Amino acid sequence: MRQFVLKRFCYSLLSLFLLSVTIFFFVRVTGDPATLLTEPGASEADIAAIHQKFGLDRPLVVQYVLFMTSLFRGDLGQSFYYQTPVMDLYWSRLPHSLLLAAVAMAFSLIIGIPSGIIAAVRIGSFWDSVGKVFALLGLSLPSFFIGLLMILLFSVYLGWLPSSGSGTPLHVIMPAFALGWYFAAAHMRLTRSSMLEVLGSEYIKLARLKGLPQRLVIAKHAFKNALIPVLTLAGINLVLMINVAVIVETVFAWPGIGRLLYEGISFRDFPVVQGVVILGGAMIVAVNLLVDIVYAVIDPRIRLGS
Amino acid sequence: MTSNETARSVLSRTPLTRRDALSMGAMAAAAAIGGRDARAASGKLIWGVHVSIAPSWLDPAETNGLVTPYMLLYAVHDGIAKPMPGQLYAPGLASSWQASEDGLTYEFVLRDGAVFHNGEPVTAEDVRYSFQRYRGTDHAPLHDRVDSVDAPDARHVRFRLKSAWPDFLAFYTQSTGAGWVVPKKYVEKVGEDAFKMSPVGAGPYKFVSYKPGIELVLEAFDGYWRKKPSVQQLVMKVIPDEATRLAALKRGEIDIAYSIRGELAEELRQSPGLALKPVVIHGTFYLYFPEQFDAASPWHDPRVRLAASLALDRPSINQALTLGYSHLTGASIFPEGFEFYWQPPAPKYDPEQAKQLLSAAGYPKGFNAGFFFCDSSYSNLAEAVLNNLGEVGIRVQLRPVERAAFIKGYAEKSFKNIIMNGTGAFGNVATRLASLAVKGGAFVYGSYPDIDALFPQQAAELNHDKRAAILQQMQQMVHERTMFVPIWQLGFINGIGPRVAESSFGKISGYPYTAPYDELAIKGA
Repeated sequence: MRQFVLKRFCYSLLSLFLLSVTIFFFVRVTGDPATLLTEPGASEADIAAIHQKFGLDRPLVVQYVLFMTSLFRGDLGQSFYYQTPVMDLYWSRLPHSLLLAAVAMAFSLIIGIPSGIIAAVRIGSFWDSVGKVFALLGLSLPSFFIGLLMILLFSVYLGWLPSSGSGTPLHVIMPAFALGWYFAAAHMRLTRSSMLEVLGSEYIKLARLKGLPQRLVIAKHAFKNALIPVLTLAGINLVLMINVAVIVETVFAWPGIGRLLYEGISFRDFPVVQGVVILGGAMIVAVNLLVDIVYAVIDPRIRLGS
Repeated sequence: MTSNETARSVLSRTPLTRRDALSMGAMAAAAAIGGRDARAASGKLIWGVHVSIAPSWLDPAETNGLVTPYMLLYAVHDGIAKPMPGQLYAPGLASSWQASEDGLTYEFVLRDGAVFHNGEPVTAEDVRYSFQRYRGTDHAPLHDRVDSVDAPDARHVRFRLKSAWPDFLAFYTQSTGAGWVVPKKYVEKVGEDAFKMSPVGAGPYKFVSYKPGIELVLEAFDGYWRKKPSVQQLVMKVIPDEATRLAALKRGEIDIAYSIRGELAEELRQSPGLALKPVVIHGTFYLYFPEQFDAASPWHDPRVRLAASLALDRPSINQALTLGYSHLTGASIFPEGFEFYWQPPAPKYDPEQAKQLLSAAGYPKGFNAGFFFCDSSYSNLAEAVLNNLGEVGIRVQLRPVERAAFIKGYAEKSFKNIIMNGTGAFGNVATRLASLAVKGGAFVYGSYPDIDALFPQQAAELNHDKRAAILQQMQQMVHERTMFVPIWQLGFINGIGPRVAESSFGKISGYPYTAPYDELAIKGA
């Protein structure tokens, strides 16, 4: 078991290293941030001063080594645009993203799981079709479109909810719905297929042969086993919701990490983009590592097979 | 319509159960509480700002030559002199100034009673310090040309130039942030980085709080020399999405929304209680033909360039994209209101004459003009323009380029055929000529020797009228050769809500935002 964990841990570190290399060089392909921080036609001296200020005049390899050295000290650098430590920016936005992700996740599970179960239990029925349409719309409609429609309906026409920003429970409703619908659809589809697989298994047939009522078969025997892959996916999705809700947070002016990433990309703020991507990547790697370990604990075949 | 009215009207039209009615009532009550929260604060104005506010905008020393930082500078800081309503060089912290006859010395007299937000008086030493501390755009030419800055006493500042420089005031008070004054003692005490996060200035509003990328809060400064502001608190919320800004304005969550364009602007115009506030800014849009200096190119023939100008249906484009609020001055790269501006004849739309000119130039069936490069954020304007060009036979392929790459490509002279650009840079006619039209300019692909020859003459001319005459002659030459095809001077459209009595939009010529801030007013307050 220890060897398994050690091996997975090394893979995780390697993933993070590769991520750091990729994001560091990718952001620099996008162009020179100095051109966005100065007026059009700024003098070469002004451009050079900006390069020097942010260390962009040094060779790329030197910049990378400095970046990694700082990273190991827990320092993600200083934002070019906000001139504030990236870590401070990240921590100031994280609570908002956690709140949004938690509500969106709750919404996606509350909607996705029951509708997936109903669709599986009543396969081919009207409710199954409704579920399919719901999933199709959720997966295909862009979240900015849903967001704008919601603003128009609930904010402008009905006047029920604030259009943007944060601060009250009412503010979180629309962004959470817009963000959660896509994931609700994904959870619904996985719940449905997982339930169908479980419902076709031998032990469910046995339970039915024993004369257990349908509700008990579904709730006690089928649902519990069908839930495992859904919750695994939900864990990964939660991390995605925290880190990459770029469009939803921008449309609703929600002060989260996704919007920070959008701002970083817009201003070619390399330290911000690198920081958000690496911290997001670290979260995903950590969740995956945790899932691997839990699986290995539950199922010895996994660790022995490895 | 209020939330409660909305609920009532829905209830009257739809058969509802008691449970529905109760839940709707609860939602309406919740919305009413939210609505009160957004509207109740009397003495507070809230902006929906279209760009992320950077802390460097709170420090005049880092002014980058773009107009956006002035959105905050006008609120928190004050300058020696600055553009104000009706005046290009309005006295600010300096009550007066005088240039010596030889143009080598400028002496400023500071205003009595001007104080910083921390209560300390604005002194000549602060002015000197702010000038020397300035490190933003064009700091090098400004510092290089100034030999010394002396503060003989607390109220007098004397600048000695190395040689006569007629544009000294333009650079010192307009195109750079060097003339905006910060308190020396405070900056030295807190340090450069801390100053940006907690600035102290001498403007009408003092800093309260800043959340990077989210919002900035300012409070009225009673000790402002010009006027005591009547609005107690200003909140600038960053709302990047245009449609969301408009929704927030409609709901009364914000009072002022910057930058609402096209169809959304039309919707704003038709929304009861809201008002459009278009401002014609110093952003001039034009077509440029880099190959006009190549004898083998069709663009070398001035008739072809004039045909391109005659092909443009500017009024229709203006109506469609900016609701008719852009100005069709015909002045290509020079905005109305700039010092030394010369008004050319109004641009004409005459596709038939354009075809005749093309025919006379040897292109009776038009020609394939290659690529049409533009900043991708103005692709809608580019599409309209190239449709017009196509109608007279000038066939081009659109090449929209991301903004930073576009500026880089334009400056590095890597584009060809046709370039559509817009520039809102500060300065005067001479600075526009320097960067766009005469030899050596950052965006100049070629030039005309006779125009080039006039440029140093105007730069050395200390007599204002004579200098104006030279610069007007140069503008006329640029116009007559159709060196650039004018499109428009952009109408920047904003919106205000029903609570705003005075928004200050459009008071300062060419300035897109709300200023002076001390003139803002709320209805009934």
